Parts: sequence; C-alpha cells; structure tokens
Amino acid sequence: MDQYSYFRSRRFKRLLIVSLVIVAAVGVFFWYKLFRRVTTVYADPAEHFKYGSIGVEVPAGIPYWIWVVLPRIFADKLPGPGGYVALGASWEPGKEVPIGFTKEIVGIPRVGVNCAGCHTTSVRSSPTEAPQFYLGGPTSRFQPQGYVRFLFACAHDDRFNSATIMKAILAIYDMPFVDRVLYRYLIIPVTKSQLLKTEQDDYYWMPERPDWGPGRTDMNPFQRQVMRLPDDHTIGSTDVMAIWNERAHEGLLHHSDGLNTALAESVRSAALAAGATKSSIDIPGLDRVQNFLMDLPAPKYAFAIDQALAAKGQPVYAKYCADCHAFGGKRTGTVIPLAEVGTDPNRNKHWPQSSADAFNKWADGYPWAFHNFRSSDGYLSVPLEGVWLRAPYLHNGSVPNMRELLLPPDQRSKVFYRGYDVYDQANVGFVSTGPQAELEGFRYDTSIRGNSNQGHSYGSDLSAADKQALIEYLKTL
Amino acid sequence: MAEPLTPVEQTARSMAARVVVVVVMLVYILGLFLYRRFNPDFPQAYTDIQDHFKYGSIGSEAANGIPYWIWKVLPGMFPEKLPGKGYASLGFVYEPGQEIPIGFARRRVIIDRVGMNCAICHTGTVRDTPDSTPRIYLGMPANTFDLQAYLRFLIACVSDGRFTADNVVREIKARKSLDPLETFVYQQAVYQTREVLLTRARQTSFMSSRPDWGPGRVDTFNPYKTVQFNFPMDNDHTFGATDLPSIWNQSPRRGLQLHWDGNNDSMEERNKSAALGAGVTPVTIDLKSMKRIEDWLLDGLQAPKFPYAIDETLAAQGAPIYKAHCASCHDFGSEYVGKVTPIGEIGTDRGRLDSFTYEFADNMNLLYAGYPWRFTHFRKTNGYANMPLDGVWLRAPYLHNGSVPTLRDLLEPPAARPKTFYRGYDVYDRKKAGFVSNVSEEKGKKYFLYDTSLPGNGNAGHLYGTELSPAEKDALVEYMKKL
Repeated sequence: MDQYSYFRSRRFKRLLIVSLVIVAAVGVFFWYKLFRRVTTVYADPAEHFKYGSIGVEVPAGIPYWIWVVLPRIFADKLPGPGGYVALGASWEPGKEVPIGFTKEIVGIPRVGVNCAGCHTTSVRSSPTEAPQFYLGGPTSRFQPQGYVRFLFACAHDDRFNSATIMKAILAIYDMPFVDRVLYRYLIIPVTKSQLLKTEQDDYYWMPERPDWGPGRTDMNPFQRQVMRLPDDHTIGSTDVMAIWNERAHEGLLHHSDGLNTALAESVRSAALAAGATKSSIDIPGLDRVQNFLMDLPAPKYAFAIDQALAAKGQPVYAKYCADCHAFGGKRTGTVIPLAEVGTDPNRNKHWPQSSADAFNKWADGYPWAFHNFRSSDGYLSVPLEGVWLRAPYLHNGSVPNMRELLLPPDQRSKVFYRGYDVYDQANVGFVSTGPQAELEGFRYDTSIRGNSNQGHSYGSDLSAADKQALIEYLKTL
Repeated sequence: MAEPLTPVEQTARSMAARVVVVVVMLVYILGLFLYRRFNPDFPQAYTDIQDHFKYGSIGSEAANGIPYWIWKVLPGMFPEKLPGKGYASLGFVYEPGQEIPIGFARRRVIIDRVGMNCAICHTGTVRDTPDSTPRIYLGMPANTFDLQAYLRFLIACVSDGRFTADNVVREIKARKSLDPLETFVYQQAVYQTREVLLTRARQTSFMSSRPDWGPGRVDTFNPYKTVQFNFPMDNDHTFGATDLPSIWNQSPRRGLQLHWDGNNDSMEERNKSAALGAGVTPVTIDLKSMKRIEDWLLDGLQAPKFPYAIDETLAAQGAPIYKAHCASCHDFGSEYVGKVTPIGEIGTDRGRLDSFTYEFADNMNLLYAGYPWRFTHFRKTNGYANMPLDGVWLRAPYLHNGSVPTLRDLLEPPAARPKTFYRGYDVYDRKKAGFVSNVSEEKGKKYFLYDTSLPGNGNAGHLYGTELSPAEKDALVEYMKKL
C-alpha cells in the first residue's frame, strides 16, 4: 500500500464518478436555466425588425418578470402614466412587448432592445386617438436615455430587492418553484448588481452631458461603452435618423456627419451601441434587418395635400433644395462643411479621426470588422424622402417643424417641446407647444450646448407664398 | 451475524418504537385538525347553475376577499357609515334565508372569506309598485347596487380608529364562539384586511376628485390604471363611469366589439377582465368556475320577457319604425351591430371613451402575462359600440353612461331629456320603459341624484329617432318592450 493507493481504489473511483455526475448535472441545470440561448425566429421581415434579436440579450437582457413589474413598483420614476409607454415606447395592440423590444430565451425569458425602438415613428392625428407606427422612421417619442436611466434608478432604489420584486411577480404569476428560487436568490440580486455595474462602467459619461430627450442619441455608447475610449467630454446630441429606402442611398454617406460609407457597418455598429458585444452580436439577424431596410419605402404623407399648391412648390424645391437634398443632386449625400452649413458644431467635434481609427481596428479578426469609419468636417446633406415624419429638423433636432426651418435662424423657437407625437399639419412637424405638448413632451432649450438651432438658413429669404408652396411640396416627398 | 439483543435493549427498542408511533399519530391528528380547520382554497360548491352564478366563487377571495365574520360585524360596528340599515342600504340584493347577498361567494382561505362574483354587478330587481316584493332578474344590470359606496364603506371602516383587532374580535365573539387559536387567526386577519383595504384606498383616492358613480354604474377602467399598473393619476382627469350592462344571451354576441367603446372583441378576455374588476388576480382566478358561468351565459340565460301588458296594435305600428330607424345598428346580424360608431357621429359623452387611453390599452397586453390567455385583444377605439337590444326594457337608464332614464326620454332631443333624475329606484315605469326616476326618497331610503351637467354624465348625442312624431315615438317604445 503506497500513499496514493486510496486514489486507485474502487471506492475513490466510484466517488469520483458520482461527483462528476453531480457536478455535470448541476452545470447542465444552471446552463439550462440561465444561459441556454434560444433565438425566436420571425418569418416576416417586418416582425423581425420590430421584435427580433440583434444580440443584446445575453449581455444586457432584463429578466422578463423583473421587466414586467419594474414600471409598477417604480411608477414614481417614470415621467407619467403608461409604464414603458411613458418613456415613449410604441406598443402595438396585443403584443407582449413594445416595438423595439425583444423577448428572448437566455436560460429564462429576457427582454432586450433592437433597432426598431429608435427607428419607428409614432404619429397621432389627435390627442385622443391611437397612434400609427411607421417602421424605419426616427422615433418621435422613445427616450433611449430615459429607458436606461429608469433601469439604473430602479437598481439604485432600496425597493429593488428580492422580497419586493418577488411579491409583485407572485401577485400576477404563479411562478414554478425552481424559477422562484432562482429569481429570489440569484436573478434579482445579479440583475441589480449588473445594472449598477453597467451604469458605472458604460454610462459614467452620461450625467455631465445635456439630456438627449426623446428621439435623440449620441456617439458616446460607441466610444465609451464599446471601444472604452477615455472621455473627451464632447457633446454629440443627434436626432435619430430615418433608415428606410436604403437601396437608394447606396454610395451615399451614412450618419449625420457622414462618417461611414458602408451601410452594413452602420447597422452593426448601432447594434453594438445598443448593447451587443463582439461575442453576442447577431450578424445574420442584423443582415436580415439590413435587407428589410433596403426596400422599405418611406411612408406617404398621412393627411390631405393641396396638390395645386404643392405643384407650385415643386420649382421652388428644385431651385433651392434639390442640389443637396434630391436623389441625384450634385451634393446630395455628401458632407457640407461646417463653415458653410453653419449648424451646431458639437456633434461634428464629437467624432474625431482618432475614434474612427480606433473603431476601424477594434474588431480586427472578426469577419465583420470595421474598415470604413472616418471623420468629417461637416454634416451630411440627406435625401428628404418621408421628411414629413422626420421632425424636428437639423442634425440635432433643434427646429420643431418645416415652417420654422424656413425662418431666419434668429426667428426660430428658442424653446419648444419634443416627444409629443400629435401631428401639426399646418407646419409639417409635431405639435411642439401648448399644455399637452408640455405635459407629454421634453423641454428642448436651444441655448444648451449641442442644441443650437442656428445655420442652414437656405430658403429663409423666400416670399411667404413660396414658403407655403414649398412646405406643401415637401409633404409629397 | 449481529448479537441477539439483551432484554434491556429489547425493552428500550420497543419503547422507542411506541414513542415514534405516538408522535406520528399526534402529528397526524394535529395535521388533520388544522387541515379541517383552515383547509385552504375551499369554495362553497353549488350544483344548480343559478345558485352558482349568485353565490359561487370565481376566485376573488384569496387576494381581495374579506374574512366573513369581519365582513359580518362591520355594519353593526359602524352603522353611521352606511346610508341606512345594513348592507341592504347599499343596494345589495338579498334572497330570503340567505346569509350573504347575491353576488358574494364564500371561500375558505385559512378562514372563511367573502368576495364578489359576476352577479354583484349583473343582478337587478324590479318592483311593480312601491309596495310589491322586488322580483330578481339574473344577468340584468345591477340597478340598485352602489359599488363605489360599498368600497367607500369598507375603507371608512378600516380607517376608523375603532377598527382594532380587539374590538373586531369582541364583536365577532358576541355572535360566534371563537377558541384561542381562532381568536389569534382573526386578530391577524384584522390587520391583514386593513392593509388590503388601505392599499385599495390609496389606489382609488383619485375618485374623490371625480363625480360619484351612483348605483348601477362603475368607472370601469380608471381603477385598473392604479390597481393593476400603479399609474400616477395626477394628470389624468378622465371620468368614465358607465352603466352596468346586461350579460344574458352571449352566444350571438361572439365576435362583436364588446365593452361600451368596443375595445375588445374577445368574449373570454372581456370576461377575465371583468373578473379582475371583481377582485380575482391572474393567480387566484377560478377558471373552472368561470367557465361554468360563461357557458351558461352563452345560451342558458335569456333576456327576460316584458312582464306587463303590451298594446300589440301600438307595438305593431312601432315595428316598421324600429326597422327603419334602429335595426341597422341594433339588431343581431345587422350591418353595424357590435361595431363602433365614431364619437363625432354618435355625439354622446366622450368621458368613457377618453378614459381608455392608448397607453393604458397597451399595458392591458400584460394582464395575465405568463398564461396562454394573456390579453391580446384590447384596442383603443374612437367611438362607442352599437349594442344589441335584447331585454332592453330592463337595461335602463340608457346610453353608455346611463344618462337618460327611460326609452321614451331617449327619443327626445337632448335638450328635452331630463337634466337631473334619480337612479337606484326599482319601481318600473311601464309607459316610458325604464325605472321611475323622480323619487328622491322612499321609506327613509334616499336615491341618487344623477346630474347630467357633471363631467362624464352628459346626456347629449344618439339623436336617432328624436325627429319622430310623439305618436311614432310611443309606438316605437311599445315595440321595444318586446325585444
């Protein structure tokens, strides 16, 4: 008998096998209940755009039942009634989650976000009617910043504890025992600490910057959260862009400051900013989205158009706008230098060449690595299809409607409300003043850094009649 | 082989075995005792479907029920908080020999609790004359029951300093002997009941800034906003009080847009939604019990016939008028029945329509989440749905908000309809088809003054038939008694 004889004994081997089986069983159990990934496949490309995964759920999905009860427990942290709708989410009748949200299995069902949250426009014709949703348009209501801030605020609150959250869940759902135990002892505490960690590591730059408000974002999620570049304290508040009709945009630049030539790279980088990681990003899912966007038409104007007046506006448009904004215009889809367009410079300074260089190297070794990011010296002259849905205007969304955009910059509203989705047919844009807009909307102050409404004075010297005709014509685009 | 046991060891073993047997038996007996005593989730069963409808449990007791004996002693402890004597003064319908009114069910969840069921809002009474005995009609709108007053009474009781465990248990002991264990359980139940009702009080505090519902009405969806979703009500000033509907003869209603604004065309969802209103939760709802009721309502319960004489000649004159002016929206199988007429066209009070906001409609998608019957059919509409008129004689007052007391009044232009009238009185007005609406008080019982000038109470709109001649209107009303 030597000193290792025990390890050769049958008894030890039996113990070893039993332990391994137990460890494996425990491992399989936890893998199954917490990590097993099942992707929901939506046959219809539009449904995939609205509810399909782009790969954010593994790193950033909120466990479904926590997601369901948070707005009820923390209603005081929302800007009004309506749960996630109070944060501007567009929720279709009968659907379990709003457009732009996904319910995906990562062990348990978790709720993530996708492209459609920011790229679906909600429009109401009157305050008491249900909204219409237009896929691919910039969101008129959703506050991406409001959503993450709500989650962080919940995580900070003492009420974010297993007892309170489980009580709320069990009041509405007879959860199976195993799930109860997992939620109570693992999922709820881990979700809380993950949210706090995300706030600290990925969103530390947010508090010092002006609020985005509904329908706006910036490039910090790319630079700080994805690439971990040090904070340069720049401000880049930008209106969310329309992403329909992309086939017609082939060869044109993308992003407000024209910082990329390749649509696929824009799509994939946006998914990373939304929370996907190198390992979780769903490239086939994003390719499907991109494919859907290629021929997604810009929606026709939803209200009546005075065709005779619009016909008078056509030559005005051809003369003053088409060079930069009509497909085939000689400068359409190119960068107009800051000095020339004169709009707020902050967003342009927010994406330096160093960020572009870093991003072009960031995913080296992946088949979907980035190569085409660049910096620019101005802002993109965008084609105007569906422009009626793309208010407020200018790259930072600083001008509430088309009528104001045709005013000399110093006569435009210094303060207005955005995020109220009732349509203003007279001015082409959303209603941006009045008690209800103030109640439901976000106070946009053009004197705050990054929010300037100066520049782009083209057309401001037209006659009143020409402006009226031009506005009517713009509805037809 | 083990050594044989010594006699001492043998004795010790058999003693140990005896102790184990005795302990097991004691535990068993205690368990049996406790089980029999506090057997959870044990509803009272009724074989007769009508009894089941009246007194059967749909599952509202566990979360929102009130311990039976506490419920029983409240009117005696706080008589000053009731408009008259006992629960009957709130318009409950009692049958002879029954301990609880129609619309309440008992279920044992540790102790006996009472909760509401469908019949509470869908059973009414009719008297032929002030001296007649009320006739009970199942499935008709609860014309005398004041749901809001009941809720307010309960909240007032538990908010009173006298609502203490000692006081309540003393009151119970005056009627029923309680052993020490039961005494303890009831003491705890007092605290728990107060907690549940104070929560409900917070959730419904917005009601104080809105008009009273009055008997036979409910602000259907506003309490949902706070009770189910905890919505803030600071900026929500809507008031959607509506008349309770009849619920008989459901089969031909399948596929119609249900609820006053037509916001749901799924009968099952409409029913499960109403059950939430009665106090069930997605966890406690008794689906088997609900199914029994639902099946019976499909074809089993039919609209009652008009019990008084009808002038057949006059009614025959009214038939073609009905055909020409009413049938296309109100007959089963007609073109517009169960569809929504836009608010701009129907012109009735928009309070109820506006109370069902679109952000609320969206959140309804999460009711019953986690179950295959999660709600998927709620929609924001832009008007009011055209209802079939079976048994319309019992469904007074008229319009969605119950703002017009009789059918004959409804045929007058809005300016000529009564501006105020009394609700909750159940003597029938055979001539005008509806309840007598000018009695403010009878035998000490006060009735509810309905004021059409208050928000949500408007009696405008639905101008159909208002241009007819008085003789034609009389004929039309006579015909409608036969529906």
